[in-house]
Amino acid sequence: MWNEFFGLLKKDFRLMLSSKFFLLALGSFVLYSCYINFVYVKLDQGIYPVYLYDPQDTKSITSEYVARVGSREALEAACADRYSVGIDLSEGKPELYLLASGLETADYYRMIWGEAVLNGTADGQAEVIGADNKEMKSRREITAEFLFFELSAVGFLGLASMLFKEKQMGVIRVHGILPVRRSMFIFSKLLLLLVSDLVFAVVLTGVNLGFSYAVEVLPAVLLQAGILSLIMALVGFLCAVRLPDFKQFSLFYLVLAVFVTTPVFLAGQTGIEWGWIIYHPMYHLFAAMKSAYFSMPAKSAPYYLVCFGAVLLLFLLACQTLNREMAKEG
Amino acid sequence: MIEVKNLTFSYGKGKQALHGLTFSVKDGEIFGFLGPNGSGKSTTQKILTGILKGYGGTVDLLGEDVRNVHKKKFFEKIGVLFEFPYLYANLSALDNLHYFASFYPKNQRRDAEELLDELEFKKDFLKKPVSSYSKGMRQRVSMARALISNPKLLFLDEPTSGLDPAGAVLFRKIIEKERKKGTTVFLTTHNMLDADLLCDRVAFISDGNIAALDTPRGLKEKNSNHSIIIDYLYRGERKEQVIEAHDLKEGVPYIYDELISIHSQEPTLEDMFIQYTGRGLA
Repeated sequence: MWNEFFGLLKKDFRLMLSSKFFLLALGSFVLYSCYINFVYVKLDQGIYPVYLYDPQDTKSITSEYVARVGSREALEAACADRYSVGIDLSEGKPELYLLASGLETADYYRMIWGEAVLNGTADGQAEVIGADNKEMKSRREITAEFLFFELSAVGFLGLASMLFKEKQMGVIRVHGILPVRRSMFIFSKLLLLLVSDLVFAVVLTGVNLGFSYAVEVLPAVLLQAGILSLIMALVGFLCAVRLPDFKQFSLFYLVLAVFVTTPVFLAGQTGIEWGWIIYHPMYHLFAAMKSAYFSMPAKSAPYYLVCFGAVLLLFLLACQTLNREMAKEG
Repeated sequence: MIEVKNLTFSYGKGKQALHGLTFSVKDGEIFGFLGPNGSGKSTTQKILTGILKGYGGTVDLLGEDVRNVHKKKFFEKIGVLFEFPYLYANLSALDNLHYFASFYPKNQRRDAEELLDELEFKKDFLKKPVSSYSKGMRQRVSMARALISNPKLLFLDEPTSGLDPAGAVLFRKIIEKERKKGTTVFLTTHNMLDADLLCDRVAFISDGNIAALDTPRGLKEKNSNHSIIIDYLYRGERKEQVIEAHDLKEGVPYIYDELISIHSQEPTLEDMFIQYTGRGLA
């Protein structure tokens, strides 16, 4: 049995090589790492400028964040960017003037910031609690997101393209009459993809977090990466077997990327709040991946039970679909 | 070797593909299964090779009911040549054969290089990827794949398709050689010459029914009008006469100076097929 399995593994590995799967993974790794190191860690939001109109000079503010203006019109003009905060002291009582940015939360923070500057309680620096500074927080955050994207989108596409190649060559039909278990045919592909995804996760995490930090989070990250990799690979396998050609698969991929993955990113990364997102299975996988990168407490037993059940169910479905396909094509 | 009784199969309501086929194939026999597209040939072959389930009737292969066979052991005993040469295009002929052979017990496997040599495969291409092969070369590798496990039962679907005449002759020789070794061959084809030259018996299948089953010779004889055309020269003039076969008992019943040709008017296998099924083989 092991000889047969080794034969399948060898063949799948060569197929992965010829389909440029590893080249694609290397390309993704270089692209993500360059973006993280040269762009993302340097990104920062500018502090909200505060403009003060105080014709009677009632307030002596020396804060570096405050700029004085000479008229109400000048104050309004300065705040026209919907980012700055204005304080009008012309009536004696402070009046905050700001144009809505469109995000309620952001406007609320702008207001608090304006008040803090006015009261002289703002120093512009956040207190660092724990070992993570802003850069490390950014690194963990974006590495988690890229790994999630790589496993859920690129890995999914990689396995499917490999299987479509086999379908195109017709060799799947030949496997229908070979003395080998069909589950092994799926299992060898899964194993290879899982190993390559885990290696990708180790390298991406090591390079972008630094190996000393990576060691701490890797066990949890690898667990989440393994779960996501298996689920996505099996979904990719099912789609590739069921759908007749790569065009239809591409359309399905687009639907998956736009309607399935995008809401997860939006809910996880922006201020958008959707109550229903907790019913989205990918959201939990995304949250678990982020938690793993921030060394947050591990997910509860029901989460792992559901994941295990999903992998098992998808595997059985994949076996059944492959059997049907072989009968249809054979 | 193969015992099929009252085989029925339906792809759904109103899509009955097989209507109770009954036939048997003896050990070491080459059995031809002929029929036009959509007649039920592929469905029958899928059932015989254990791929398709949900059929009615009984199918015994190698002494066992196909429904109850141990899949692994069953597949170890059969070899299948598909209509098209399905191979890994990124691998070479040798790598393909080594890969497919790896699923069979070691003592059962044949040497891949020897097999390709027997199939007159160009040696320069042994290690080149299949994507660079011609159709004939791919067909040779496919045939080698079907034979590499020394099967007891060989299913061949259009074995000479894509081959030049010399290649077709070679394949027929190889199939004959397999039969001499004791291999049973189930041959599905449109090629009447292959069926005529190779098969011990042929079955004509049409619309899921067996329209006729006999030896190629028997089928032709049964439907022959036993007439003979004699072409001859008499006093410098070329003449043609049609006579009954038994009229030849006493020799040619005409005066002639020179006999040019004597043709029996036996129908071809294709004529027979059209006669039995009312359809051509296209």
